[in-house]
Amino acid sequence: MSAPELRIGIKNDQRSFRPGETLRGAAGWQWDQAPESAEVRLYWRTEGKGVPDVSVVAVVPFEQLAARDARPFEFRLPEGPYSFSGRLISLIWGVELVLKPGAHAARVEFNLSPTGEEILLHR
Amino acid sequence: MLARENPFASHRLHGLRFRLPGVDWAGLERRWHELGRRAAIVGPEGSGKTTLLEEWRQRLEAAGWRVRLWRLTRERRRPDRARRPAFWTVPAADELILLDGAEQLSWWAWRAWLRRMRPAHGIVVTTHRPGRLPTLLECRTTPALLDELVAELLGGSSPAVRRLNRRWFRRHEGNLRLVLRAWYDLCARRPFPPVVSCPASPAAGQKAVCDRKVA
Repeated sequence: MSAPELRIGIKNDQRSFRPGETLRGAAGWQWDQAPESAEVRLYWRTEGKGVPDVSVVAVVPFEQLAARDARPFEFRLPEGPYSFSGRLISLIWGVELVLKPGAHAARVEFNLSPTGEEILLHR
Repeated sequence: MLARENPFASHRLHGLRFRLPGVDWAGLERRWHELGRRAAIVGPEGSGKTTLLEEWRQRLEAAGWRVRLWRLTRERRRPDRARRPAFWTVPAADELILLDGAEQLSWWAWRAWLRRMRPAHGIVVTTHRPGRLPTLLECRTTPALLDELVAELLGGSSPAVRRLNRRWFRRHEGNLRLVLRAWYDLCARRPFPPVVSCPASPAAGQKAVCDRKVA
């Protein structure tokens, strides 16, 4: 069985969001079989020196899946945490499409903060 | 340099593949079967045991096995209270049990745990010293291995990088984890490390960020 082709995008390719705004997008896939499950997850994760942390904030599961499919999704974004970066840690928001079996995934990341930009702790 | 750009950030280190010394995966698994599927990966701290075990877990799960992985450290010598009963639960005959840090269990706890795990299809543990189970593989580090890993993370190498590797390899007595942390700190302080080129941020992988359910 070959690996699926996955696509996920945010409407208008927007990468800056403020707390409480709605993120809209679409996810699609093409496989040689209908997946057992498909969902889009809204998450944040950390990168840096320490043990990476991750939190899945919300999930949109899809039903009645076809081998070739495309679905819209939307999330109302929470108040935080804000996207930020320092020397020791970065916090990154994203949405990812996950197909099973095999946990195939594609993701796109964005900034969430009062200004819509990543908050930089060091320059 | 920002954390997300740091070539030595932990998510980049997790992406490094274990370099099997003088054996391939098929050979390693064959030897494990010859040892009755009860065996230990032995090596000092920072020699790649955890990386190897994690990679093996992924291979076993991809092959359809049910795998239980436990990780004990000096800071956390027992599983969380909530997960402790599962740690001691007798496994099914089609389960594989992986224990990272077997030396953290007292001799008595180890014997009791091993007895309870007896029905499992297979057991692999990591430990600093041989003796708990027959040794499957000894993990060792070398300056050449360090050069290779650092070059992969930096997207290149240079004499200055290799000199620094030698110095830190000696200072940390071959503990690659500590050497790579030292590299992280250096990159965090400087805009670019002393290399031929600075790599771009890693591309988004095809692996799910998290299998955890909604928090």
